[in-house]
Amino acid sequence: MLDNQPFREGHVTVNGVDVRYRVAGPENDRTPLVLVHGTAGSIDGHYGYIFPMMAYRQRVIALDWSEPAGDTLELADLVAQVKAVITAEVPEGPVTLMGYSLGACVAAMTAAEMGGKIANLILAAGWLRTDTHQKMRNDVWRQLRDQDSASVTQYMTFCAFSPAFMNMRTVEDMKAAAGMLKITPFVEKQMDLNTRIDIAAACETIAAKTLVIGCTYDMMVPKHHSKQLFGAIEDARYAEIPSGHAVVHERAAELFHYVDRFTRQPDEFPAGAIIPAQKP
Amino acid sequence: MTTETDILIVGTGFAGLGMAIQLKRSGRENFIAIERAGDVGGTWRDNHYPGIACDVPSHLYSYSYLPNPDWSRVFSPGGEIQAYIRKCAEDEGILPHIHFHTNMLKSTWDEDAKRWIVETSKGTYAAKILITGTGHLADGHMPNIEGLDSFTGDVFHSADWDHSVPLEGKRIGVVGSGASAIQIVPEMQRLASELVVFQRSAPYMIPRWDRAFTEGERRMCRRDPSVVEDMRSEIFWSGEFNFAQRRNIPRFLNEAKALAVGHREANIKDPELLAKLTPDYEIGCKRLLISNTYYPAVAAENATLEASALQRVEGNTAYGASGTGYDLDVLVFATGFEAVRPPFATRIFGTEGISLDERWDQGMQAYDSIAVNGYPNLFIINGPNTGLGHNSVVYIIEAQVDYIMEALAQIDAQNIEVIEVKRAAEDAYMEKLDAMAQGTVWLAGGCKSWYVDERSGRLTLVWPDFAHSFRDENGTFHPEGYDMQPAPVAAE
Repeated sequence: MLDNQPFREGHVTVNGVDVRYRVAGPENDRTPLVLVHGTAGSIDGHYGYIFPMMAYRQRVIALDWSEPAGDTLELADLVAQVKAVITAEVPEGPVTLMGYSLGACVAAMTAAEMGGKIANLILAAGWLRTDTHQKMRNDVWRQLRDQDSASVTQYMTFCAFSPAFMNMRTVEDMKAAAGMLKITPFVEKQMDLNTRIDIAAACETIAAKTLVIGCTYDMMVPKHHSKQLFGAIEDARYAEIPSGHAVVHERAAELFHYVDRFTRQPDEFPAGAIIPAQKP
Repeated sequence: MTTETDILIVGTGFAGLGMAIQLKRSGRENFIAIERAGDVGGTWRDNHYPGIACDVPSHLYSYSYLPNPDWSRVFSPGGEIQAYIRKCAEDEGILPHIHFHTNMLKSTWDEDAKRWIVETSKGTYAAKILITGTGHLADGHMPNIEGLDSFTGDVFHSADWDHSVPLEGKRIGVVGSGASAIQIVPEMQRLASELVVFQRSAPYMIPRWDRAFTEGERRMCRRDPSVVEDMRSEIFWSGEFNFAQRRNIPRFLNEAKALAVGHREANIKDPELLAKLTPDYEIGCKRLLISNTYYPAVAAENATLEASALQRVEGNTAYGASGTGYDLDVLVFATGFEAVRPPFATRIFGTEGISLDERWDQGMQAYDSIAVNGYPNLFIINGPNTGLGHNSVVYIIEAQVDYIMEALAQIDAQNIEVIEVKRAAEDAYMEKLDAMAQGTVWLAGGCKSWYVDERSGRLTLVWPDFAHSFRDENGTFHPEGYDMQPAPVAAE
């Protein structure tokens, strides 16, 4: 008999679009954890591991982004969706808010705007300000996309995983994984938004106890971005996972380890600490 | 004559030796390890059957503080693991602390002297602290088979392999289809004229991603130890990922199952044999096995898979529960170990004079998986709820050794004479573990396994969570769970 975890689905309307979310896990002394996925992601796509495993520990809430009306996606559109879900489920707060990749930028902005309601913040593979290196990659992506080239998903896959992870598999395995990626108009808008991120000023105002997680072999959002977040946010501590950008797949269990420890005891490490890697 | 020591360790496998090394490294000299055999290594010394290897990649299945750049393969053969353990004992200066051929017969707590009195095959020891490192895979399990005495051929257990018995061209029966059996069967298939495998239940099996390391790779590991560290990290966290399967989450369980089904179907073409090799429970409920050679071996022309347990023996004929008889020259019992009721527990008697085995009449339990109320000054390494279905037990052992080292430091600092875990703390810990175990594949997977105690239905052998969380929870000493009595201050 499989352990089918009970969960509840909810939805809120934000600027005229329906935003769906999922709630699971027991209420206990841990602060509810809200999960925000990244570009081209979803609850199952980016939190397929973290969501069910954390729900054995505590209350977990995760949302799927909905495409807002209009030609251009702004960070504020996604922030509004996250705020609406938090307000619907934990109106008084506090919550622990976790974002991955673009979701980390959304989460950081949300924390800046919601103040004390966001007690704790986890930013995995996020960034402060889009830089030349990212713009260059994004530009190649855009050209491949404009050519309607099948290699656009292979390029994304190539950029997402570390060499060590890839080398445990065959080229065919990696191409098959690339084939699962679907580029929708909404994903294109997210990719465009990725070129215009600047949350530097907002990060200076974040009061939440923050865990920043950088990925050693990240080619999409190299770890110097996480170091910048670690510097910009006052009450931040930093951990690093030897993974590519796709840490939610590559090192899901190690990511879980950091999330689990931080949500259990956010002040285990003081502000400014670089958390040593566990050496098995 | 009684040999006095501060600390007595029982066993010198990965657990006992790992404990001894840390004691020695911390500057302690007043400890003795007793070992019933003539060498260190535990299960790796006792198990030398053809084909023996470990199911955890060697770079992880070794002490974190004694990395070995010279492993020959991803999954090195058992003899290499044994040689590694012996080298660790030599290099760390542990051999002079080991009393070989010294079997613990009976340990009793002396309330007046506040000492463990340990009677052995080589005399009596008195120790302030007793630490067991006897392992889960120490004593072979032999099923009680009707008429086995009448068998005219050779019989032995996989953990006590008789290398003097000629096997070439013989009719060989292998009893069991667990982790040892699946390593033995391909070797026997090559030698035997006829091979019969008695399978009580079909195991799940996935491919073994094994290969030899090149000399260049070994040199790289010698030149840059960080390469080994990175490999350990990668193996460990990939193993941790698989806990989601044991946690019984449909998505991850189904992924594992698809891998196992694909492996089975790629290797077994005969539909009848395929049916016999298809388990009737969820993957991971029993130990998940890894092999590339087992399926081809049982599918070979000289092999027969008897899909029932060995039931009785008459002369040279061995009968399965199905009633089918096979004429055999050799019977190999690959029937596992006394893991759920470890024999060491019948030999340790606490403050109430009852054995640990009696105390555990509803199954093993220990606070922080290490201490039992009524058994003061005793620490059990690799005892209740320390097994893993998905990662390296050496990691668990190291966490437990760290725990004990912290406890010993506190005992010294506060001049503690007696340290005994509180019953309430022990029970609360077990209640927590019981709750964590609910819904896991070990309890809900529809199988009978050595992870679960039949008497209570409790999961007593396995730690029902990630390995890393074992270290988080049990890698540091928790004084709040114990009553600690200081030694009386000597009068002037």
